Amino acid sequence: MSTHNAVPRRVLLSSLTAAALAGGGQRWALAADAIKIGMPVTLTGALGSIGTQMRQACEFWAKQVNASDGLLGRPIELVIEDTAGNPSNTVRKAQEMVERSGVRLLTCIVASNEALAVAPKLTEWDAIFVSGDNGDGRLTGESLVPNFFRPNTSGPMGTRAVALWLRDSPMKKFYGIGMDYAWGHNSMDVFAAEVKRAGKEFLGAVFSPTGTKDFSPYITKIRQSGAEGCYLVLAGDDNNAFLSQAKQYRLGDKIQLLTEQVDEGSINAVGDAAVGLIGGSRYSATLDNPANKAFVAAWQKEYGRLPQMFEGDQYQSCIVLQAAIEKAGSIDAAKVRSAMENLIVNSVKGRVEMRACDHQGEQAGFVVKVVKRPGMEHPVPEVVATYPADRITPPCNQMSYDN
Amino acid sequence: MRGLVIAAILLAAAPLGLPPFATTLLTEALILGLLAMSLDLMVGYTRLISFGHAAAYGLGAYACGDLLIHTRLPLPFAIFLSASITGIVGIGVAWVCTLAKGVSFSMLTLAFAQLLYAIAFKWTAVTGASDGLAGIPRRVGPFGLTQFQTRNGYYYLVLGCLLGAYAFCRVLVRSPFGAVLRGIRENEPKTISLGYNTRLCKIAIVAISFMLGGLSGALYAPFAGFANTDLLFWLFSGQVLIMVIVGGQGTLLGPIVGAAFFMLLEHVLSQYTDSWALFFGLIFIGFITFAPDGIWGLFRRRVRI
Repeated sequence: MSTHNAVPRRVLLSSLTAAALAGGGQRWALAADAIKIGMPVTLTGALGSIGTQMRQACEFWAKQVNASDGLLGRPIELVIEDTAGNPSNTVRKAQEMVERSGVRLLTCIVASNEALAVAPKLTEWDAIFVSGDNGDGRLTGESLVPNFFRPNTSGPMGTRAVALWLRDSPMKKFYGIGMDYAWGHNSMDVFAAEVKRAGKEFLGAVFSPTGTKDFSPYITKIRQSGAEGCYLVLAGDDNNAFLSQAKQYRLGDKIQLLTEQVDEGSINAVGDAAVGLIGGSRYSATLDNPANKAFVAAWQKEYGRLPQMFEGDQYQSCIVLQAAIEKAGSIDAAKVRSAMENLIVNSVKGRVEMRACDHQGEQAGFVVKVVKRPGMEHPVPEVVATYPADRITPPCNQMSYDN
Repeated sequence: MRGLVIAAILLAAAPLGLPPFATTLLTEALILGLLAMSLDLMVGYTRLISFGHAAAYGLGAYACGDLLIHTRLPLPFAIFLSASITGIVGIGVAWVCTLAKGVSFSMLTLAFAQLLYAIAFKWTAVTGASDGLAGIPRRVGPFGLTQFQTRNGYYYLVLGCLLGAYAFCRVLVRSPFGAVLRGIRENEPKTISLGYNTRLCKIAIVAISFMLGGLSGALYAPFAGFANTDLLFWLFSGQVLIMVIVGGQGTLLGPIVGAAFFMLLEHVLSQYTDSWALFFGLIFIGFITFAPDGIWGLFRRRVRI
């Protein structure tokens, strides 16, 4: 019965949106004209903080577009639903957006396993999915589907930036700590291979179960390893717990802590304990280019703070999608797909080229260091090295690098 | 009986009158209904409270996913083979779990489900670990049948399995064997004293319950196109138990209604609030306190008056 009731409610919702748009002094005559962007986004659970950043970036973008002339003269309407990070919810909600709300464009899916679950359905749905943060190398490799595009930095690209930085660093011996599941082991393998390729020594790694609260035995092992650098593949609460404890044990004084990805969420959570951490970053508000300066200024005016990493990355994906729709002159999946291939956009991270072979956006990679800046409430990541797109982007359909 | 026939006809006609997405939702509701009904055999009829029924679902889903990805087996065969595999594993599980009674039995079922969860998390080659199995195809059926690949075709496959399983369960619980199960539920020592091997009966019903749970998991994998560790998580076991209790235990049909109610309520509530679980918790407490017979009990009371 709920199904029957839900349909008129949805109609009511969209007409409310229409009324709100009309009442806001907008030019749009009919909300039916709106370009709907489906966002099955994780807002609750372990990845909720990332999803919240990504949603905000999309909302900011939609507001910007709607405040000017819209896209193809049509307003943007975001269809947002929480998936709680569960792929079965994500598929169901995305399917609902497609079949009931007529959505043909999807973005803002947070976790890679959600993205991997949605991708095989895209052809059947005749929908385009533009990744805003999904890192799994397989999405543009073995699991690539024609309607998937990744304008953001992938996981292998993030690791690559750190690896390139390693080659130039004076450190010789490395150790690692990772979460004991697929992501932790995969990332550690990639890192170990990169260390060896740089002609340096990888002394070994420990893996902690997900949800570890007390890292002291692991910290002892890291200390005893005799390494100069320790690579962290930790996320969320585990990462915060480790960094806080590492500071108590003054681990950072002896060993340089490195990580695949420096995320402001955890910096804000642990504060000074993150200072000194070096890692890859997909985006930093300190990037020096005109598009980013305009974005940061507008963002600060709107929210009174700097944009964070996933906000910048998702925003770039929105800009790429916008450019593709403008080039295609339509939101028809086939037209957007051919417009997207070989599309070149200059956005907040500089130049992005959506290569046709595996739908990965070629772009620069960054390494940042967390520093304390006077006048700032939290420590901030500062770019210490930038690598050009041709050194960061892997060969087509691949997750590893030849050199 | 007449009500049942009407319900079956309504369900069979549903895809013709419903919008596409409603059919998709209904398909998932029926799959979950089959799972809840299989748990009802244990919980409602035999008072074997399982906290680990997600094990059956996940096992069926992974087995079916792997069969469809790695072999050329047609869809219906893969589904039934997965159900059989789950049933066979169920015999082993039952043998161990029935060594204990009451709360200890529940804890053993939970432990077993968590064991499977841990294995699924580690065994990357078979389960895809934390990423799960994605892109599970709906292979063409035997003799080149392509009907099951469509939305409505798959719905009828699920409906067929549910109706078949219901008929089987209905016969089962009304048979002498079903009477022994109710005997175990009401007073196990007395049933033993009447000369029944209650342990054997319990093993049988757990295995059957696993087989039907595995069938629903096997239907889910190609429906969603993927399987992941969430399907084995203890939280999901708890949800299935809630479906059975909210629907009305010991009625077979009640849990099916409970599953549909749970899923649609979650779906509708989560559109309006992020804290939908809170409201669902309140509804659950309400049912336990004011309507222990569940939705089915309420419905029957209303009809009798």
